Amino acid sequence: MLLDRRLLGRDVLVLFALAGWALAVPHYGSEFVVSMALTCLMYVALATSWTLFCGTTRYLSLATAAFFGIGAYVSALFIETWGWFGVIAGGAGVAALVAVLMGSAVLHLRGTYFAVLTFGMTELIRHAIAYWEKQVTGTVGRVLTVVPERDTVYLTVLAIALLSVAVSIVVRRTRFGLGLMGIGADEQRAQTLGVNTRLVKIGGFALTAAFAGAVGAAMSVRWTYIDPTTVFNPFIGFQTVLIALIGGVATLWGPLIAAVVFSLLAETLRLQAPQLYLMTLGLLLILSVLYLPEGLASLRWSTLRQWRDDTRAWWKALRAGKAGKSTRKAAGA
Amino acid sequence: MSQHNPLTAGPGGLRRRSVVQALAAGAASVGFPAIAQAAPVRVGYAISRTGPATPGAQTSQEPNFLMWAEQQNAAGGLNVKGVKRPIELISSDDRSDIETCVRSYEKLMGSDKVDLILPPWGSGANFAVAPLANRFGYPMLAPTALSRRLVEMKLPYFFLMLQQPKPMCEALVDMFKANGVKTVAVIYTDELFGLENYAAFKVALASSGMTMVEDKSFPTGSKDLSPVLRSIKDKNPDAFVGFTYPADTVLASRQSKEIGFNPKFFYASVGTAFPFYRATLTPAGVEGVIGMGSWNPKTSPGAKAYFDAHVKSQKKEPDRWASGACWASLEILTAAVARVGLDRKAIRDFVAGNEHDTILGKIKFAGSENVGTPGTVGQWQKGEFEVVWPQSRATAPLVTQKPAWA
Amino acid sequence: MSLGSWLELIASGLITGGVYALVGLGLNLQYGLMRILNIAHGEFLMVGAFLTWMATTSFGVSPLLMVPVSFAVLMAVGMLVHRLTFRRLAATSPNLDIFEARGLMVAFGLMFLVQNFADAVWGGDLRGYDYLTEPVHIGGSQFAANKLLLLALSLSFSIALIVMLRLTLLGKGVRALMQSPTGAQLVGIDTARLHPLMFGVGLGLSGVAGSLLSMAYTVSPSMGEPYTVTALIVITLGGFGNMGGALAGGLALGVIEALGMHFTNPSLKALLSYAVFIGVLLWKPNGLFNKRT
Repeated sequence: MLLDRRLLGRDVLVLFALAGWALAVPHYGSEFVVSMALTCLMYVALATSWTLFCGTTRYLSLATAAFFGIGAYVSALFIETWGWFGVIAGGAGVAALVAVLMGSAVLHLRGTYFAVLTFGMTELIRHAIAYWEKQVTGTVGRVLTVVPERDTVYLTVLAIALLSVAVSIVVRRTRFGLGLMGIGADEQRAQTLGVNTRLVKIGGFALTAAFAGAVGAAMSVRWTYIDPTTVFNPFIGFQTVLIALIGGVATLWGPLIAAVVFSLLAETLRLQAPQLYLMTLGLLLILSVLYLPEGLASLRWSTLRQWRDDTRAWWKALRAGKAGKSTRKAAGA
Repeated sequence: MSQHNPLTAGPGGLRRRSVVQALAAGAASVGFPAIAQAAPVRVGYAISRTGPATPGAQTSQEPNFLMWAEQQNAAGGLNVKGVKRPIELISSDDRSDIETCVRSYEKLMGSDKVDLILPPWGSGANFAVAPLANRFGYPMLAPTALSRRLVEMKLPYFFLMLQQPKPMCEALVDMFKANGVKTVAVIYTDELFGLENYAAFKVALASSGMTMVEDKSFPTGSKDLSPVLRSIKDKNPDAFVGFTYPADTVLASRQSKEIGFNPKFFYASVGTAFPFYRATLTPAGVEGVIGMGSWNPKTSPGAKAYFDAHVKSQKKEPDRWASGACWASLEILTAAVARVGLDRKAIRDFVAGNEHDTILGKIKFAGSENVGTPGTVGQWQKGEFEVVWPQSRATAPLVTQKPAWA
Repeated sequence: MSLGSWLELIASGLITGGVYALVGLGLNLQYGLMRILNIAHGEFLMVGAFLTWMATTSFGVSPLLMVPVSFAVLMAVGMLVHRLTFRRLAATSPNLDIFEARGLMVAFGLMFLVQNFADAVWGGDLRGYDYLTEPVHIGGSQFAANKLLLLALSLSFSIALIVMLRLTLLGKGVRALMQSPTGAQLVGIDTARLHPLMFGVGLGLSGVAGSLLSMAYTVSPSMGEPYTVTALIVITLGGFGNMGGALAGGLALGVIEALGMHFTNPSLKALLSYAVFIGVLLWKPNGLFNKRT
């Protein structure tokens, strides 16, 4: 079905439309709008690339923050010597390298082990860098001295986001992508069918990391000052996972839609009522896992009808139960 | 009786009354519209109202900002080159999070375009915001930042009010040396403040003949320092030095009492000068503890006036170190605005190029650093934090043996 | 360093370790029995701490009294949470892997919800109160009375749990379920009642730990997360589902940390913990104390 040309056509068309709209923003939007759009694009890139690997193979990675932070540090350390495009590529490259190393060590574990391990590794990297900075360089954080134009940053992040969506569209239609999905469906069977699961997994993981690293490298200049706590903030990873899950991990556009919705929500509530935002996020996650496990993108009329029918049945049962009790009481009295 | 009333008696009286009334009306029409038309001076800042940095920020910094705005507005407004304009404070809680702090200042300077900014609390936050303020061209006088790196960045729009690590540590080492201290144990927080002071202290110690028997770092906001304190107690140093933030200072003091660690000199850097420290550990409990402090009401009549006003307006005492520096920074800012108005470059030039009279004495800047105030050490004696070093600024002599924790 | 100082150091490691063991046991019960990896565990610890703090400072109730109260309250909360969320998940998930993954996600959501709720209600400032801070002299060493109480109570609760699991009929039922879910159900052990109950007990233990901690340390909404991580490390060290292993693992971790802090820096504590964690997960994924490899 995925090889259907019409679907490919539709995907590419939507991509172009979004690209066009996004390009218009810096010209017509205010400072605030551009800033929001930037965050949106960042999460689009992160969520889409995360879904590329984790959605298909069902290996839940919580290491996004690690790769993001690595990219940010590459930027802070080398922006003066490598230049803007150099650090973006560098961020992607170093992150991918770390992913290959991490992946080789842990990708043979499944399920919760893998998720918890990736989380542990993120924290390990964070504390290691913090310690290194403290003992060896004697600093806590770093100031970015060269800050490119706002528009440059915006266009770069836009490019990364578009690339991640484009890569997603393409990969699904290649053997590599099918291999990823096969691993997600039934790993052992995929192996017997001849898929080199180890290489495919490491490759997918590295790809996801490269995007996160590139985004991290680009976004660090927005912060002017970075330190391990800010750029390796596990929340970046959590939010990416949340967005992907709520959007729908098996789909292409789900994470994108969710990314837009959540980054809008985040930016508006962030400075005023951050607890409310986070509580809403938590609640939404719980509700979506319980009632909409395939994500928002799987929401169909039939789902809504099902919920309506379920609620009606529950209400009926409740009233029948009460009526039953009262008739029994009357009979008993 | 009517014929004695100069205003109503006779035709001349009527004319006089109308003249007086006319004059009054005239004065009103000149005076009132001027006040009604004066646009407020918008002053923006982000400060910690929640999170680990709250005790520091709410003792040394924000109360001073609020009192300043209150005092200026009560006198008709801030004097902007002769015209009095009310101050409007635009502030937000940075939740002790540097990222939130940076974003808030970006918004204040970039989108809201406020007239002036006031700094956040702490070396780390200032390290993050100073380059930003410099880029936007907003002068910033920071009373709670201590960092050689900040000075080295040579930001023309950034001014550090506090004495920097080098003079403070040298003063401490000199005091120890003069009192026969031979061995020292140090703990320091993982923050920029801790790292820098530790480095400066090591340098000062190197040429003094004293030895450092232990040095350990710890993450700020640690819950438990007793293992570290126990191993230090075991080494029995003459002096204990903690480059700590307020919460850590309280923890270290409490846990030292808990394990029975009582060296001759117990020094904790930040928080010691706070009234909250004295309240938490009781005045008897803090007797003899030394820390960073540079003034108290006895320092000058201006200082006493400030102290009294602070207690009256903010219902609490200012601390004996950064609060004074904060008020001094506001005195300088007020003088600058009165002289050159709200042209931010002109304000910066005024601050950089002149010697200022403040409650802490004369203050003058070499680049970003305040070279007018020397390094000092304070000590709790009978419920007051006295300045005990150097002798020239001392408000009381040093008590050389700390009594046991009470 | 003198022998007395070594003993003091190890003793203080045991004190922290006791709490780690208690939190780890609760998490182990939930994971070992129900395969629910409750990463919001630490948040409920924090709630227990805040409840105790509030009761002590606002109503003057003794913290000691709040310990069983926290247990009861958090147990009730746990049973409610289980009924509202995990029960449905168990019913709708097609296989165990998916259930685990979804359970993890729900726990994530709970973590955000509870932590920020506490932040919104009580604010981010550090809170605390003084309880039994007088020093107690044992041999040549000096400890705060509340720390000793902490050790005593955390060990008592941990041992009580282990004893209950070994000797009572309820405990045997739980262990049977852990070993073989289908087999246990075949012999009539009621999963539907045991699961929420044990989930509740797990959270109750977490609440007790929080209550105990509030006596000696500061309380804040973010205090729970490090304990969740520590609990994860403890159950990894001890082996998933292995209660005795969790107790030993918790105490061991406490001592390792204390020694580590002594030889290096407290700043390295977090780094060391994670390194140990990852090391064990990679090298001995079934825990240090499990016989199977």
